[in-house]
Amino acid sequence: MKKIIIKGAITILLFFGTWFALTQIDWVKVFKVQKVTDKTEQKLGELFWEIFKKTEKENKNIHVVNSIESIVTQICKSNKIDRETIKIHVLNKDEINAFALPNGHLIVYSGLILNSDNQEELIGVICHEIAHIELNHVMKKLVKEIGLSVLISMTTGNGGSEIIKETAKILSSSAFDRSLEKEADIKAVDYLVSAKVNPEPFANFLYKPSNKEHDAIEYLTWISTHPDSKERAEYIIEYSKNKLTGYEPILSTETWEKLKIELNE
Amino acid sequence: MIQIKQFSYEPGEHEAETASSSYLMSLIAIIVGLPLPIVNLIATLIFYLGNRKSTYFVRWHCTQALLSQLSMLFINSYGFWWTISIIFREETITSNYIAYIIAAIIFNLTEFIATIYTAIQTRKGIHVEWWFYGTLTNIICKSKS
Repeated sequence: MKKIIIKGAITILLFFGTWFALTQIDWVKVFKVQKVTDKTEQKLGELFWEIFKKTEKENKNIHVVNSIESIVTQICKSNKIDRETIKIHVLNKDEINAFALPNGHLIVYSGLILNSDNQEELIGVICHEIAHIELNHVMKKLVKEIGLSVLISMTTGNGGSEIIKETAKILSSSAFDRSLEKEADIKAVDYLVSAKVNPEPFANFLYKPSNKEHDAIEYLTWISTHPDSKERAEYIIEYSKNKLTGYEPILSTETWEKLKIELNE
Repeated sequence: MIQIKQFSYEPGEHEAETASSSYLMSLIAIIVGLPLPIVNLIATLIFYLGNRKSTYFVRWHCTQALLSQLSMLFINSYGFWWTISIIFREETITSNYIAYIIAAIIFNLTEFIATIYTAIQTRKGIHVEWWFYGTLTNIICKSKS
């Protein structure tokens, strides 16, 4: 009986040993899995960005672009994120929304900037979206929603413009899985703290009812597509407790005010 | 890994054929069973149940074939569900996954070769005992006499 247990154990060990030995090789690199995925993501990013570029108006005002760019640069710098990977675009639209596209495209609607009471709220939302990008949530969501085969066929030009448009809609107006949202929230708080930005306004932003100027609730896309605002605000506050204090604004008050004035014009 | 041993008696022609078939069962099922790991096990299980009352030599080899399939079931099922979760869920292909699949293929291939070899040998009436499985079968499967 003892002999058989030893033999059985050896057989099991042999299997796990083989597996362990094989894990020492970077198979992803050997089979160029990453390269294929990266290429697909790159193409998809371009494809979706083209759609938004065509249908919405991009804000090219130098002051607006520079202000948003400096926010992103500051966040990237304090969190050791490669700045090149985040491609931020500001679109003129009243909707209070921001979302990430594949390959690091981050779209912010002017409505979001105008409806942020302070820069911390805006920075919080941007951090949340950067977290989605950095945690590779965008591709995960796409694969889940429409499947890998459709995604690859899109990049080879067989997708059909309707499917691409529909998918773009999914990306801009629906939230991720609850767990992914939480992950992005927590990561966003980390980013904020590293960048010395107070995370509290970000939590408050989730509570916020619509602004006096744009009081139609349908404009509040970013909040309404992200469910359980209360719960989210709570765990953000909870998580950011006892974190570093001594916050510093990224943009000067004048720059922030000027940004809003420029957008209002 | 595989040992030729003297069986307690000399199996007859018919016995050798049935015993050999028990291994062939798992081979035939491999064709269907590749995407679904459970099919191999079911095929050998049915054959085992059908021959429960057969002679000692036949029973012995049916049991060995069944046991070997049972352990492959664990390895293959895990790989199967891992693959499914990559295709339909948010999992991504990692080096860990590819390593597992390669390890699973190596073990399946070893088992496959051993099965063919054993099927040929038992057909000739030669008694073949596998490492670990042979010993285990000796415990489970006892001669009635």
